[in-house]
Amino acid sequence: MKEERPSDPLARLGERLDRAERRRAERQGKSTPGEGLGFGFRVGVELVSALAVGVGLGYLADRYIGTRPWGVIVGFFLGAAAGMLNAIRALREWGKSSGPPPSA
Amino acid sequence: MSASPLAQFLITRLIPLHIGRYDISFTNASLLMTIIVALITLLLVATTRRAALVPGRLQSVAELSYEFVAGMVRDTIGSEGEQYFPLVFSIFMFVLFANLLGLVPYSYTVTSQVVVTFALAIFVVGLATLVGLLRHRFHFFSFFFPPGAPILLAPILIPVEIISYLSRPVSLSLRLFANMMAGHTMMAVFAGFVVALGFFGFLPIVANAAMYALELVIAVLQAYVFAILTCLYLYDAIHLH
Repeated sequence: MKEERPSDPLARLGERLDRAERRRAERQGKSTPGEGLGFGFRVGVELVSALAVGVGLGYLADRYIGTRPWGVIVGFFLGAAAGMLNAIRALREWGKSSGPPPSA
Repeated sequence: MSASPLAQFLITRLIPLHIGRYDISFTNASLLMTIIVALITLLLVATTRRAALVPGRLQSVAELSYEFVAGMVRDTIGSEGEQYFPLVFSIFMFVLFANLLGLVPYSYTVTSQVVVTFALAIFVVGLATLVGLLRHRFHFFSFFFPPGAPILLAPILIPVEIISYLSRPVSLSLRLFANMMAGHTMMAVFAGFVVALGFFGFLPIVANAAMYALELVIAVLQAYVFAILTCLYLYDAIHLH
């Protein structure tokens, strides 16, 4: 390292910190595969769990209120809608935090 | 039996205890949870008691985890979130240590039990709901009806929103449990091939080494996801939408 060095060690440290900071900022724009995988799994679980809750509530209603078979049918569709809602919300959050800004 | 890839999830009673009809035995899961809490306490107390200005290795581990969670709470909840920092930090450390200790051979993964993760999740969501109710009183229920939506849609929107809200503890617990259980089962299945393949047994060993690295990433990532979702639910409770 024969580059021009500031005599003050603190200034040198500051320079190195600046460089590290810049490198970190560059890296932060990209998402790692692990992150993407985790997020994909998150959306999947979100979709399924709402459906399970919807069907479960419908089943309970059928069993204890005696609305058979409408509880499970209605619960299925409401649960599916809620799952979609959850997934869309999670995806929107993802776009806000790291993706490129929406064009147009 | 011990050759089954699912045998690792068996709960065994170490100290049998019964109160009335309830079985409250001290099991291998309880032992691991005790170790987890003891380790976290030891790490944090021992490293911060004689805190040096220039931190050593262990002290910087403690400081890094503190700053990581503090930054997460500040970024997701905002300045009002500071009072929830101890909660989020405890949950993060517990899940992180449970996931990591589960990767130690012959130990036990408590987060691969849906009971454990569901108990954590229902506690988090219940608390967030309580915070919302205390902060906003009846106004909290406007959470279930998005502002600006046509009133005609209310009979569909409100049940959907309620189901969506109720699915929070389910998805929160299911995600952690499924990740841990699937990963550990897969590693055990691959380990089972080692003997069966004879000479080619080195192949699954190589695959398992790679999978172990992936499991380490997942262990940390899932602890992070659990903590950040805790923050998000608290944010929702404080700000409503």
